[in-house]
Amino acid sequence: MASQNSVMAYNDQVLVEEKSLTRILVLNRPKQLNALSYPMISRLLDLFVAYEADPNVKLIILKGNGRAFCAGGDVAAVVHDIRKANWKSGAQFFTKEFTLNYVIATYTKPQVSILNGIVMGGGNGVSMHGRFRVATETSVFAMPETALGLFPDIGASYFLSRLPGFFGEYVGLTGARLDGAEMLACGLATHFVPATKLSLLEEALYKVDSSDSNIISAIIDCYSQQPYLKDQSAYKRLDVIDRCFSRKTVEDILSALERESMGKADDWINNTIQSLKKASPTSLKISLRSIREGRIQGVGQCLTREFRMVCHFMEGKLSKDFFEGCRAILLDKDRNPKWEPARLELISEGMVEQFFSRMDDEEWDDLKLPSRSNFVLPRHAIAKL
Amino acid sequence: MSSESPTDRASRRTRILSNHLTTSDLQVGGNSLQSNICLSYSPPELHEKIEFEVRKMRELLDVHNLQDRDWLFGLMMQSKLFNPQEKGGKVFVMPDFNHTKEQQREMTMKRIEYLLERGVFDGWLTTRGPETEMRKFAFMETLGIFDQSLAIKIGVHFFLWGGAIQFFGTKRHHDKWLRDTETYRIKGCFAMTELGHGSNVRGIETVATYDPKTDEFVITTPCESAQKYWIGGAANHATHTVVFSQLNINGRNQGVHAFIVQLRDFDGNICPNIRIADCGHKIGLNGVDNGRIWFDNVRIPRENLLNSVADVTPDGQYKSAIQDPDQRFAAFLAPLTSGRVTISLSAIYSAQIGLAIAIRYALSRRAFSFVPNEPEVLLLDYPSHQRRLLPLVAKTYAMTCAGNYLKKMYVKRTPESNKTIHVVSSGFKAVLTWHNMRTLQECREACGGQGLKTENQVGHLKGEYDVQSTFEGDNNVLMQQVSKALLGEFIAAKKKNKPFKGLGLEYMNEPWPVIPSQLTSDILRSSNFQITTLRLRERDLLNRFAAEMSQHQSSGVNKEYAFALGYQLAEDLGRAFSDRIIFETFLNDEGTVSTGPMKDVVGKLRSLYALTCMEEDAAFLRYGYLSTEKAAAVRAEVAKLCSELRPHALGLVSSFGVPGAFLSPIAFNWIDSNAWSSSSA
Repeated sequence: MASQNSVMAYNDQVLVEEKSLTRILVLNRPKQLNALSYPMISRLLDLFVAYEADPNVKLIILKGNGRAFCAGGDVAAVVHDIRKANWKSGAQFFTKEFTLNYVIATYTKPQVSILNGIVMGGGNGVSMHGRFRVATETSVFAMPETALGLFPDIGASYFLSRLPGFFGEYVGLTGARLDGAEMLACGLATHFVPATKLSLLEEALYKVDSSDSNIISAIIDCYSQQPYLKDQSAYKRLDVIDRCFSRKTVEDILSALERESMGKADDWINNTIQSLKKASPTSLKISLRSIREGRIQGVGQCLTREFRMVCHFMEGKLSKDFFEGCRAILLDKDRNPKWEPARLELISEGMVEQFFSRMDDEEWDDLKLPSRSNFVLPRHAIAKL
Repeated sequence: MSSESPTDRASRRTRILSNHLTTSDLQVGGNSLQSNICLSYSPPELHEKIEFEVRKMRELLDVHNLQDRDWLFGLMMQSKLFNPQEKGGKVFVMPDFNHTKEQQREMTMKRIEYLLERGVFDGWLTTRGPETEMRKFAFMETLGIFDQSLAIKIGVHFFLWGGAIQFFGTKRHHDKWLRDTETYRIKGCFAMTELGHGSNVRGIETVATYDPKTDEFVITTPCESAQKYWIGGAANHATHTVVFSQLNINGRNQGVHAFIVQLRDFDGNICPNIRIADCGHKIGLNGVDNGRIWFDNVRIPRENLLNSVADVTPDGQYKSAIQDPDQRFAAFLAPLTSGRVTISLSAIYSAQIGLAIAIRYALSRRAFSFVPNEPEVLLLDYPSHQRRLLPLVAKTYAMTCAGNYLKKMYVKRTPESNKTIHVVSSGFKAVLTWHNMRTLQECREACGGQGLKTENQVGHLKGEYDVQSTFEGDNNVLMQQVSKALLGEFIAAKKKNKPFKGLGLEYMNEPWPVIPSQLTSDILRSSNFQITTLRLRERDLLNRFAAEMSQHQSSGVNKEYAFALGYQLAEDLGRAFSDRIIFETFLNDEGTVSTGPMKDVVGKLRSLYALTCMEEDAAFLRYGYLSTEKAAAVRAEVAKLCSELRPHALGLVSSFGVPGAFLSPIAFNWIDSNAWSSSSA
């Protein structure tokens, strides 16, 4: 089946450099801002699996070619597949992607992701679950799925729900963009290294002959600095975020924000309200519940749950918002999606519940995550189970 | 640590780092269970299989308001007020029990204020109906999983004080107090128990005398034994209380009534003619400010009599719709029923916490090898460890279903069902709280020394939950009440020669059953055998109890004393009744599960529950419901069921739905949480 194109894509879209015991994986689709294609995900998974068994590999560096780290999964291609065949062929993309996310989350060797430039959606799936995430002054983080009629997937319900207070709900529901300083402050990034020092950092990491996290961390520390958190940063509004985004329902969150904004011109709150009003109402409700459930689940449970949810979106029976979002944002680019249902109050708890249930399809199974029982996992990976 | 010099520290770090280097080389990429000189933590998630859907099993147990529960778990986990602590890479929330009792009380109050702000209590008293009540129960259960003090302090305010206003008050009280209670503008407590009278509420000595000249009641504590005791909220925070007191009108005692008295002004100063003292440090629940109250002729307006049951006119006429003083008094105990419901449920959730911790530990902790030089054996792979913990898991499952049945019955209550609710809630409260205490003790021992650490919950919870066998009715007294009620049914049916109806006793209209002579595994696991045997015990004990009572009475002993003499059968019967209903509710819930791996597991749990009841109660042998051979067959089947349930242990405790953050470090990576780097950080 594999056409020559896909073989080439497999080899070209992820470049591999070997430096002694370090492997550098470079996402290489610069024109598409390194959006993850199926061949890329397959290659990454193969490489990660192979390196885990290879005693000559101690450390993996993941970075992007060009000005972005990774703009996300190649959703347009997924939609194309679904249009051409059926939802299951689209869902296969996620099977592979989520499996990769799980392997990364439970990886026995340290991974350093250099988050220079844009890191969004699926790009977070291949980096945030890894041990070290290095932000720079050019980093732009977002999980923008609710604007696309989807929900923060790739295991985001695991890592967003573990951000301080209710910052994860804020980031996941509004799709807010964060800069490198904010990523470090909230814990999405473990280090902040100025872009000019990245090559020095990489050089230093080439010489590593150990998989010990403490040693790697100490090396990155040498190039790190404490960035300035801008005054208008959302992270400085954590008290408002906690008051509003801790509310039980999306409707309650919105009215809490509206109460906060009463009688004062506050751009940040108004923008926040606008983002929520523009997003798919179905996406918002499902995303909120996903993050809340994710908070009390392990990373494997999060991914299997999200896989069910994503299958429902691909199948398009419960909601067509994902296809509408892709049409409005990625294909027609009119930026004017018509969500259905169009209002929050039209979506009952029972409707939300359906997205979390097993697919009503005899031939379709839940996501089967690879067994990790043959590995001695490091402590931070054990804690994620 | 403080004595260590910076150079020492640096060289120690280097040493640790180089150790890491050498050991991590050994571990990383290891492909099999290497025989390593050092133990490493192997998380149960990686080697245990779960063959049913945990989400579905959790629904069977939690039943209602799952999203509300998860929301509340999240509210607690994400706030610094709930004392999050990182141990072994995981965050746990738990009150700081190193705090003094005063600090613990302040923290409890701060947590309540936080939850209030986030809207947790919205509608608790200002909306009504089964949906609100079920949501309240779900929240109470969830709060109790964090800290029993928190749940109790909230429970006293909403269920006892708020409940008293709702149940005993009339519109004027509802309008005046309910909204302010819901928003905590006022903080209520519930002054029933006295130093000299606990279970026997009718004997309390506080007196309220009506003064028609001023249209006031005068509340008095006439003697030291009449001081109100154990009043939760009174010591520090409560602004108001419901006082239970004998009502004296024109020198005539009309029995126990409830009144509203203000204790503190809004600045927190104690009001005139009121004295409050602390109950002091306790074996648990130090986050609740239990106090003692004396009333020195406190004058309150006539309107402060909670008058739904009885009223006093301005000229001092006593009026009551209920003429019978016994029934009038019973009406005053209504809020205690909701208390018994919440206590039963919180006991079960506590048992779930204990078992989730002990089982997870038993799935990661090893001891001794069967064969020299082989790896040590997981605790839960020892049949004895399975026998200690798995029947408790089965009981906890059964009792969770029973608790849910009780909740449903309570929220759908009618005047006709009140008696059943009273009897069932009494029996369940006793059996479920005893089960919890026993479970915690077994879990504590099953965790060995680790169980002694407060941070590991199982030991500490014993102190927190011990009071449950006492408050809202002493367990032994409640069991006697259950038996009294059953005897009442028995006598009524026999006297009027009418069939049994109610309390699930209809089976007594049928002929006595016969237990099969050969107890095969199939028979032992059939629900038919199980229910028949459990009913046989209840039925026979009831007959024996009735015979003993009539024998005592015919020999001239009065009724009350006869009951006191018949305590042995009374308590056995109370348990037999409760066990039987618990079994029926579990069987009923099992019936709602569709065929598949989950139903198979639930069926095994149900069998294990029933057979454990038979194995543990000597009545089956004492009165010959089971011969010695049959009792031996039961015992052998219990062991078999334990080994069949062993592979499901992780799935069973994961389905309790208690988030890891509310368990404890030994339930997870206990090696890392005890690492030197964790203690010196």
